[in-house]
Amino acid sequence: MQAAKVSAAKPPLSREALRDVIDLSLWAGQLLLQNGSDAERIEETIHRLGTALGCDWMDILVSPNVIAVTTISGEEFRTKIRRVIGLNVNMTIVSAINRLSRRVEDGELDRFGVRQELERISRIGSHYNRWLVVVMVGLACAAFGRLFGGDLPVFAVTFVAAAVAMVVRQELNRLHYNLFLVTIVTAFVAGVLASLAARLQLSQQPQTALAASVLLLVPGVSLINSAEDLIKGHMVTGITRGIIGGLVSLSIALGLALAIQVMGVRGL
Amino acid sequence: MTGLSLLPLLLEDALWSAVAAIGFSMLFNVPVRTLPGCAILAAVGHMTRSLLLQLDLGVEVATLAGATLIGFIGVLFARRWHAPALVFTVSSAIPMVPGALAFQAMLGLLRLPYADAAARTFILTDVAIDSIKTALILGAIAVGIAAPSLLFVRQRPPA
Repeated sequence: MQAAKVSAAKPPLSREALRDVIDLSLWAGQLLLQNGSDAERIEETIHRLGTALGCDWMDILVSPNVIAVTTISGEEFRTKIRRVIGLNVNMTIVSAINRLSRRVEDGELDRFGVRQELERISRIGSHYNRWLVVVMVGLACAAFGRLFGGDLPVFAVTFVAAAVAMVVRQELNRLHYNLFLVTIVTAFVAGVLASLAARLQLSQQPQTALAASVLLLVPGVSLINSAEDLIKGHMVTGITRGIIGGLVSLSIALGLALAIQVMGVRGL
Repeated sequence: MTGLSLLPLLLEDALWSAVAAIGFSMLFNVPVRTLPGCAILAAVGHMTRSLLLQLDLGVEVATLAGATLIGFIGVLFARRWHAPALVFTVSSAIPMVPGALAFQAMLGLLRLPYADAAARTFILTDVAIDSIKTALILGAIAVGIAAPSLLFVRQRPPA
Protein backbone atom coordinates (compact mmCIF):
# COMPACT_ATOMS: atom_id res chain seq x y z
CA MET A 1 0.00 0.00 0.00
CA GLN A 2 2.76 2.36 1.06
CA ALA A 3 4.82 1.51 -2.03
CA ALA A 4 1.93 2.23 -4.37
CA LYS A 5 1.45 5.62 -2.79
CA VAL A 6 5.11 6.54 -3.27
CA SER A 7 5.14 5.53 -6.91
CA ALA A 8 1.93 7.49 -7.60
CA ALA A 9 3.43 10.74 -6.28
CA LYS A 10 5.22 12.77 -8.92
CA PRO A 11 8.86 13.70 -8.45
CA PRO A 12 9.20 17.42 -7.69
CA LEU A 13 10.13 19.50 -10.73
CA SER A 14 13.32 21.53 -10.95
CA ARG A 15 12.96 25.31 -10.75
CA GLU A 16 13.56 25.61 -14.45
CA ALA A 17 10.99 22.94 -15.32
CA LEU A 18 8.41 24.54 -13.05
CA ARG A 19 9.01 27.90 -14.72
CA ASP A 20 8.56 26.31 -18.13
CA VAL A 21 5.36 24.51 -17.13
CA ILE A 22 3.68 27.69 -15.89
CA ASP A 23 4.85 29.61 -18.93
CA LEU A 24 3.61 27.01 -21.41
CA SER A 25 0.25 26.39 -19.75
CA LEU A 26 -0.40 30.15 -19.56
CA TRP A 27 0.49 30.48 -23.21
CA ALA A 28 -1.95 27.73 -24.15
CA GLY A 29 -4.64 29.37 -22.00
CA GLN A 30 -3.97 32.73 -23.60
CA LEU A 31 -4.40 31.28 -27.10
CA LEU A 32 -7.71 29.72 -26.03
CA LEU A 33 -9.03 32.92 -24.43
CA GLN A 34 -8.05 35.01 -27.46
CA ASN A 35 -9.67 32.68 -29.93
CA GLY A 36 -13.17 32.09 -28.65
CA SER A 37 -13.08 29.31 -26.06
CA ASP A 38 -15.37 29.23 -23.04
CA ALA A 39 -13.88 29.65 -19.57
CA GLU A 40 -14.50 26.06 -18.50
CA ARG A 41 -12.44 24.68 -21.37
CA ILE A 42 -9.60 27.11 -20.65
CA GLU A 43 -9.41 25.98 -17.02
CA GLU A 44 -9.60 22.32 -17.96
CA THR A 45 -6.93 22.59 -20.63
CA ILE A 46 -4.48 24.54 -18.48
CA HIS A 47 -4.97 22.07 -15.66
CA ARG A 48 -4.54 19.05 -17.92
CA LEU A 49 -1.45 20.48 -19.60
CA GLY A 50 0.25 21.48 -16.35
CA THR A 51 -0.37 18.23 -14.51
CA ALA A 52 0.64 16.18 -17.56
CA LEU A 53 3.93 18.12 -17.68
CA GLY A 54 4.68 17.04 -14.14
CA CYS A 55 3.00 19.45 -11.71
CA ASP A 56 0.98 18.14 -8.77
CA TRP A 57 -1.77 20.72 -9.09
CA MET A 58 -2.72 23.88 -10.97
CA ASP A 59 -4.96 26.65 -9.65
CA ILE A 60 -6.41 28.75 -12.43
CA LEU A 61 -8.31 32.02 -12.51
CA VAL A 62 -9.77 33.00 -15.86
CA SER A 63 -10.84 36.63 -16.15
CA PRO A 64 -12.07 38.33 -19.29
CA ASN A 65 -8.62 39.71 -20.09
CA VAL A 66 -6.27 38.13 -17.56
CA ILE A 67 -5.33 34.55 -16.76
CA ALA A 68 -3.65 33.81 -13.43
CA VAL A 69 -2.12 30.42 -12.73
CA THR A 70 -0.40 28.87 -9.73
CA THR A 71 1.61 25.70 -10.29
CA ILE A 72 2.40 23.44 -7.38
CA SER A 73 5.08 20.76 -7.42
CA GLY A 74 6.30 19.16 -4.21
CA GLU A 75 7.25 21.98 -1.83
CA GLU A 76 7.61 24.56 -4.58
CA PHE A 77 4.99 26.76 -6.13
CA ARG A 78 4.93 29.55 -8.65
CA THR A 79 2.26 32.07 -9.60
CA LYS A 80 2.10 34.08 -12.77
CA ILE A 81 -0.49 36.21 -14.47
CA ARG A 82 -0.80 37.07 -18.12
CA ARG A 83 -2.65 39.91 -19.73
CA VAL A 84 -4.71 38.74 -22.67
CA ILE A 85 -5.88 41.17 -25.30
CA GLY A 86 -7.66 40.58 -28.55
CA LEU A 87 -11.00 39.00 -29.26
CA ASN A 88 -10.82 36.74 -32.26
CA VAL A 89 -12.54 33.55 -33.14
CA ASN A 90 -10.19 30.93 -34.56
CA MET A 91 -11.51 27.44 -34.08
CA THR A 92 -8.43 25.85 -35.66
CA ILE A 93 -6.29 27.22 -32.83
CA VAL A 94 -8.80 26.05 -30.20
CA SER A 95 -8.83 22.62 -31.84
CA ALA A 96 -5.02 22.45 -32.07
CA ILE A 97 -4.55 23.36 -28.37
CA ASN A 98 -7.08 20.70 -27.43
CA ARG A 99 -5.17 18.09 -29.38
CA LEU A 100 -1.85 19.30 -27.93
CA SER A 101 -3.07 18.83 -24.37
CA ARG A 102 -4.16 15.29 -25.16
CA ARG A 103 -0.82 14.45 -26.76
CA VAL A 104 1.00 15.71 -23.68
CA GLU A 105 -1.28 13.59 -21.52
CA ASP A 106 -0.42 10.53 -23.60
CA GLY A 107 3.25 11.26 -23.00
CA GLU A 108 4.02 12.05 -26.65
CA LEU A 109 5.41 15.52 -25.95
CA ASP A 110 7.69 16.94 -23.26
CA ARG A 111 7.93 20.61 -22.37
CA PHE A 112 10.37 21.32 -25.22
CA GLY A 113 8.03 19.70 -27.72
CA VAL A 114 5.11 21.69 -26.29
CA ARG A 115 7.00 24.96 -26.77
CA GLN A 116 7.66 24.11 -30.41
CA GLU A 117 4.03 23.16 -30.98
CA LEU A 118 2.73 26.34 -29.31
CA GLU A 119 5.00 28.41 -31.53
CA ARG A 120 3.54 26.68 -34.56
CA ILE A 121 -0.06 27.01 -33.33
CA SER A 122 0.24 30.70 -32.51
CA ARG A 123 1.17 31.34 -36.14
CA ILE A 124 -1.90 29.59 -37.58
CA GLY A 125 -3.73 32.05 -39.81
CA SER A 126 -6.89 31.68 -41.83
CA HIS A 127 -7.23 28.59 -44.05
CA TYR A 128 -9.74 30.26 -46.21
CA ASN A 129 -8.98 32.65 -49.02
CA ARG A 130 -10.15 36.15 -48.24
CA TRP A 131 -12.47 36.41 -51.24
CA LEU A 132 -13.93 32.97 -50.61
CA VAL A 133 -14.86 34.17 -47.12
CA VAL A 134 -16.41 37.32 -48.62
CA VAL A 135 -18.58 35.28 -51.00
CA MET A 136 -19.55 32.70 -48.38
CA VAL A 137 -20.41 35.30 -45.75
CA GLY A 138 -22.51 37.11 -48.35
CA LEU A 139 -24.27 33.83 -49.13
CA ALA A 140 -24.71 33.10 -45.43
CA CYS A 141 -26.51 36.40 -44.84
CA ALA A 142 -28.57 35.88 -48.00
CA ALA A 143 -29.48 32.43 -46.64
CA PHE A 144 -30.66 34.11 -43.43
CA GLY A 145 -32.80 36.35 -45.63
CA ARG A 146 -34.43 33.21 -47.04
CA LEU A 147 -34.91 31.78 -43.56
CA PHE A 148 -36.69 35.03 -42.61
CA GLY A 149 -38.99 34.47 -45.59
CA GLY A 150 -37.39 36.87 -48.06
CA ASP A 151 -37.96 36.53 -51.81
CA LEU A 152 -35.37 36.33 -54.61
CA PRO A 153 -34.63 40.10 -54.89
CA VAL A 154 -34.08 40.15 -51.12
CA PHE A 155 -31.66 37.25 -51.53
CA ALA A 156 -29.68 39.10 -54.22
CA VAL A 157 -29.60 42.47 -52.45
CA THR A 158 -28.62 40.87 -49.15
CA PHE A 159 -25.83 38.93 -50.83
CA VAL A 160 -24.31 42.07 -52.36
CA ALA A 161 -24.78 44.20 -49.24
CA ALA A 162 -23.28 41.60 -46.90
CA ALA A 163 -20.36 40.77 -49.21
CA VAL A 164 -19.41 44.43 -49.63
CA ALA A 165 -19.81 44.96 -45.88
CA MET A 166 -17.50 42.01 -45.25
CA VAL A 167 -14.80 43.58 -47.42
CA VAL A 168 -15.17 46.85 -45.48
CA ARG A 169 -14.93 44.95 -42.21
CA GLN A 170 -11.81 43.07 -43.30
CA GLU A 171 -10.12 46.31 -44.36
CA LEU A 172 -10.98 48.13 -41.13
CA ASN A 173 -9.84 45.14 -39.04
CA ARG A 174 -6.57 45.09 -40.96
CA LEU A 175 -6.00 48.68 -39.82
CA HIS A 176 -6.81 47.61 -36.22
CA TYR A 177 -9.66 50.02 -35.63
CA ASN A 178 -11.77 49.72 -32.50
CA LEU A 179 -14.26 46.82 -32.56
CA PHE A 180 -17.34 49.01 -32.02
CA LEU A 181 -16.26 51.55 -34.60
CA VAL A 182 -15.71 48.79 -37.16
CA THR A 183 -19.14 47.38 -36.35
CA ILE A 184 -20.95 50.72 -36.72
CA VAL A 185 -19.28 51.55 -40.04
CA THR A 186 -19.81 48.05 -41.44
CA ALA A 187 -23.47 48.00 -40.38
CA PHE A 188 -23.92 51.42 -41.99
CA VAL A 189 -22.46 50.22 -45.31
CA ALA A 190 -24.58 47.06 -45.24
CA GLY A 191 -27.67 49.09 -44.32
CA VAL A 192 -27.18 51.63 -47.12
CA LEU A 193 -26.79 48.90 -49.75
CA ALA A 194 -29.68 46.85 -48.37
CA SER A 195 -31.91 49.96 -48.43
CA LEU A 196 -31.63 49.88 -52.20
CA ALA A 197 -34.16 47.04 -52.13
CA ALA A 198 -36.65 49.54 -50.74
CA ARG A 199 -35.49 52.58 -52.74
CA LEU A 200 -35.59 50.78 -56.09
CA GLN A 201 -38.79 48.93 -55.08
CA LEU A 202 -37.24 45.57 -55.87
CA SER A 203 -39.21 43.59 -53.35
CA GLN A 204 -42.41 43.45 -51.31
CA GLN A 205 -40.51 42.93 -48.07
CA PRO A 206 -37.41 45.18 -48.25
CA GLN A 207 -37.07 45.20 -44.44
CA THR A 208 -35.92 41.58 -44.57
CA ALA A 209 -32.87 42.62 -46.58
CA LEU A 210 -32.03 45.27 -43.96
CA ALA A 211 -32.21 42.76 -41.11
CA ALA A 212 -30.34 39.98 -42.89
CA SER A 213 -27.47 41.97 -44.38
CA VAL A 214 -26.01 42.98 -41.00
CA LEU A 215 -26.10 39.48 -39.53
CA LEU A 216 -22.44 38.94 -40.37
CA LEU A 217 -21.71 41.30 -37.47
CA VAL A 218 -23.78 39.49 -34.83
CA PRO A 219 -21.39 38.46 -32.03
CA GLY A 220 -22.65 34.89 -31.96
CA VAL A 221 -19.64 33.34 -30.26
CA SER A 222 -19.53 36.03 -27.55
CA LEU A 223 -23.24 35.61 -26.85
CA ILE A 224 -23.19 31.79 -26.78
CA ASN A 225 -20.02 31.73 -24.65
CA SER A 226 -21.55 34.31 -22.34
CA ALA A 227 -24.59 32.16 -21.67
CA GLU A 228 -22.46 29.04 -21.34
CA ASP A 229 -20.03 30.68 -18.89
CA LEU A 230 -22.94 31.96 -16.78
CA ILE A 231 -24.55 28.51 -16.67
CA LYS A 232 -21.30 26.88 -15.62
CA GLY A 233 -20.60 29.42 -12.88
CA HIS A 234 -17.95 31.57 -14.55
CA MET A 235 -19.85 34.74 -13.73
CA VAL A 236 -17.18 37.35 -14.47
CA THR A 237 -16.33 36.11 -17.96
CA GLY A 238 -20.01 35.43 -18.62
CA ILE A 239 -21.13 38.94 -17.70
CA THR A 240 -18.29 40.57 -19.59
CA ARG A 241 -18.92 38.59 -22.76
CA GLY A 242 -22.62 39.37 -22.46
CA ILE A 243 -21.89 43.09 -22.23
CA ILE A 244 -19.52 42.91 -25.19
CA GLY A 245 -22.23 41.07 -27.15
CA GLY A 246 -24.81 43.69 -26.13
CA LEU A 247 -22.56 46.59 -27.09
CA VAL A 248 -21.77 45.06 -30.47
CA SER A 249 -25.52 44.58 -31.04
CA LEU A 250 -26.03 48.23 -30.07
CA SER A 251 -23.31 49.23 -32.55
CA ILE A 252 -25.07 47.26 -35.29
CA ALA A 253 -28.30 49.06 -34.44
CA LEU A 254 -26.54 52.46 -34.50
CA GLY A 255 -25.02 51.84 -37.92
CA LEU A 256 -28.32 50.54 -39.24
CA ALA A 257 -30.33 53.44 -37.79
CA LEU A 258 -27.93 55.88 -39.42
CA ALA A 259 -28.30 54.11 -42.78
CA ILE A 260 -32.09 54.13 -42.47
CA GLN A 261 -32.02 57.89 -41.76
CA VAL A 262 -29.64 58.68 -44.62
CA MET A 263 -31.52 56.56 -47.14
CA GLY A 264 -34.93 57.69 -45.95
CA VAL A 265 -36.46 54.21 -45.90
CA ARG A 266 -38.86 52.64 -43.44
CA GLY A 267 -37.07 50.99 -40.54
CA LEU A 268 -37.47 47.48 -39.17
CA MET B 1 -50.73 20.01 -42.02
CA THR B 2 -49.51 16.52 -42.74
CA GLY B 3 -45.92 15.46 -42.33
CA LEU B 4 -45.39 15.05 -46.05
CA SER B 5 -46.39 18.58 -46.98
CA LEU B 6 -43.91 19.90 -44.45
CA LEU B 7 -41.05 18.13 -46.15
CA PRO B 8 -40.15 20.70 -48.86
CA LEU B 9 -40.26 23.47 -46.28
CA LEU B 10 -37.97 21.57 -43.93
CA LEU B 11 -35.53 20.65 -46.69
CA GLU B 12 -35.27 24.26 -47.79
CA ASP B 13 -34.75 25.20 -44.17
CA ALA B 14 -31.94 22.63 -43.90
CA LEU B 15 -30.28 23.92 -47.05
CA TRP B 16 -30.23 27.58 -46.03
CA SER B 17 -29.14 26.94 -42.48
CA ALA B 18 -26.29 24.76 -43.79
CA VAL B 19 -25.20 27.56 -46.15
CA ALA B 20 -25.34 30.08 -43.30
CA ALA B 21 -23.32 27.79 -41.04
CA ILE B 22 -20.64 27.23 -43.69
CA GLY B 23 -20.20 30.99 -44.13
CA PHE B 24 -19.83 31.55 -40.40
CA SER B 25 -17.62 28.48 -39.95
CA MET B 26 -15.21 30.01 -42.44
CA LEU B 27 -15.34 33.27 -40.56
CA PHE B 28 -14.44 31.34 -37.40
CA ASN B 29 -11.66 29.54 -39.29
CA VAL B 30 -12.74 26.01 -38.37
CA PRO B 31 -10.38 23.25 -39.58
CA VAL B 32 -11.27 22.42 -43.20
CA ARG B 33 -11.97 18.77 -42.37
CA THR B 34 -14.71 19.78 -39.89
CA LEU B 35 -16.62 21.95 -42.38
CA PRO B 36 -19.01 19.18 -43.58
CA GLY B 37 -19.77 18.28 -39.97
CA CYS B 38 -20.65 21.89 -39.14
CA ALA B 39 -22.97 22.12 -42.15
CA ILE B 40 -24.76 18.83 -41.40
CA LEU B 41 -25.17 19.67 -37.75
CA ALA B 42 -26.56 23.13 -38.50
CA ALA B 43 -29.06 21.65 -40.96
CA VAL B 44 -30.21 18.98 -38.50
CA GLY B 45 -30.49 21.42 -35.59
CA HIS B 46 -32.31 24.15 -37.45
CA MET B 47 -34.62 21.70 -39.20
CA THR B 48 -35.59 20.24 -35.84
CA ARG B 49 -36.32 23.70 -34.53
CA SER B 50 -38.45 24.60 -37.57
CA LEU B 51 -40.37 21.34 -37.34
CA LEU B 52 -41.22 22.01 -33.70
CA LEU B 53 -42.17 25.60 -34.55
CA GLN B 54 -44.55 24.22 -37.17
CA LEU B 55 -46.05 22.02 -34.46
CA ASP B 56 -46.83 25.23 -32.55
CA LEU B 57 -44.21 24.88 -29.86
CA GLY B 58 -42.67 28.10 -28.56
CA VAL B 59 -39.45 29.32 -30.17
CA GLU B 60 -37.54 28.87 -26.90
CA VAL B 61 -38.56 25.23 -26.46
CA ALA B 62 -37.93 24.51 -30.13
CA THR B 63 -34.49 26.12 -29.89
CA LEU B 64 -33.68 24.10 -26.78
CA ALA B 65 -34.56 20.89 -28.60
CA GLY B 66 -32.55 21.81 -31.70
CA ALA B 67 -29.54 22.91 -29.64
CA THR B 68 -29.65 19.78 -27.47
CA LEU B 69 -29.58 17.65 -30.60
CA ILE B 70 -26.62 19.71 -31.84
CA GLY B 71 -24.91 19.23 -28.48
CA PHE B 72 -25.18 15.45 -28.49
CA ILE B 73 -24.39 14.89 -32.18
CA GLY B 74 -21.52 17.37 -31.73
CA VAL B 75 -19.93 15.01 -29.21
CA LEU B 76 -20.14 12.16 -31.76
CA PHE B 77 -18.71 14.37 -34.51
CA ALA B 78 -15.90 15.44 -32.19
CA ARG B 79 -14.79 11.82 -31.91
CA ARG B 80 -15.28 11.16 -35.61
CA TRP B 81 -13.34 14.22 -36.83
CA HIS B 82 -10.92 14.61 -33.91
CA ALA B 83 -11.73 18.15 -32.95
CA PRO B 84 -13.28 19.59 -29.78
CA ALA B 85 -17.07 19.49 -29.79
CA LEU B 86 -17.31 23.27 -29.53
CA VAL B 87 -15.95 23.65 -33.07
CA PHE B 88 -19.07 21.88 -34.32
CA THR B 89 -21.62 23.03 -31.79
CA VAL B 90 -20.89 26.77 -31.77
CA SER B 91 -20.61 27.06 -35.56
CA SER B 92 -23.79 25.15 -36.18
CA ALA B 93 -25.76 26.96 -33.47
CA ILE B 94 -25.10 30.30 -35.21
CA PRO B 95 -28.21 30.13 -37.45
CA MET B 96 -30.32 29.90 -34.27
CA VAL B 97 -28.70 32.92 -32.57
CA PRO B 98 -31.38 35.64 -32.34
CA GLY B 99 -29.18 38.31 -33.88
CA ALA B 100 -32.02 40.15 -35.59
CA LEU B 101 -34.03 40.22 -32.35
CA ALA B 102 -31.02 41.58 -30.45
CA PHE B 103 -30.44 44.56 -32.68
CA GLN B 104 -34.16 45.15 -33.17
CA ALA B 105 -34.35 45.65 -29.41
CA MET B 106 -31.46 48.09 -29.65
CA LEU B 107 -33.07 49.91 -32.59
CA GLY B 108 -36.21 50.31 -30.51
CA LEU B 109 -34.22 51.80 -27.64
CA LEU B 110 -32.57 54.25 -30.04
CA ARG B 111 -35.97 55.28 -31.39
CA LEU B 112 -37.58 55.71 -27.98
CA PRO B 113 -36.51 59.29 -27.09
CA TYR B 114 -37.75 60.66 -30.43
CA ALA B 115 -41.05 58.85 -30.63
CA ASP B 116 -44.29 60.70 -29.86
CA ALA B 117 -45.82 60.13 -26.45
CA ALA B 118 -48.52 57.74 -27.64
CA ALA B 119 -46.07 55.40 -29.38
CA ARG B 120 -43.57 55.23 -26.52
CA THR B 121 -45.35 52.60 -24.47
CA PHE B 122 -45.64 50.33 -27.47
CA ILE B 123 -41.98 50.75 -28.40
CA LEU B 124 -40.90 50.09 -24.83
CA THR B 125 -43.02 46.94 -24.66
CA ASP B 126 -41.54 45.73 -27.95
CA VAL B 127 -38.03 46.39 -26.66
CA ALA B 128 -38.74 44.46 -23.48
CA ILE B 129 -40.24 41.52 -25.37
CA ASP B 130 -37.38 41.39 -27.88
CA SER B 131 -34.79 41.54 -25.09
CA ILE B 132 -36.41 38.82 -23.03
CA LYS B 133 -36.80 36.58 -26.07
CA THR B 134 -33.17 37.17 -27.04
CA ALA B 135 -31.99 36.20 -23.57
CA LEU B 136 -34.23 33.13 -23.39
CA ILE B 137 -33.24 31.87 -26.83
CA LEU B 138 -29.54 32.40 -26.08
CA GLY B 139 -29.98 30.56 -22.80
CA ALA B 140 -31.72 27.71 -24.64
CA ILE B 141 -28.85 27.48 -27.14
CA ALA B 142 -26.23 27.43 -24.38
CA VAL B 143 -28.06 24.88 -22.23
CA GLY B 144 -28.67 22.74 -25.30
CA ILE B 145 -25.11 22.60 -26.57
CA ALA B 146 -23.78 22.21 -23.03
CA ALA B 147 -26.30 19.45 -22.25
CA PRO B 148 -23.88 16.53 -22.73
CA SER B 149 -21.32 18.02 -20.36
CA LEU B 150 -23.99 19.20 -17.90
CA LEU B 151 -25.53 15.74 -17.74
CA PHE B 152 -22.53 13.42 -17.98
CA VAL B 153 -19.41 15.28 -16.85
CA ARG B 154 -20.34 16.25 -13.32
CA GLN B 155 -17.32 17.07 -11.23
CA ARG B 156 -16.81 17.02 -7.54
CA PRO B 157 -15.05 20.20 -6.44
CA PRO B 158 -11.46 19.40 -5.44
CA ALA B 159 -11.10 18.80 -1.70
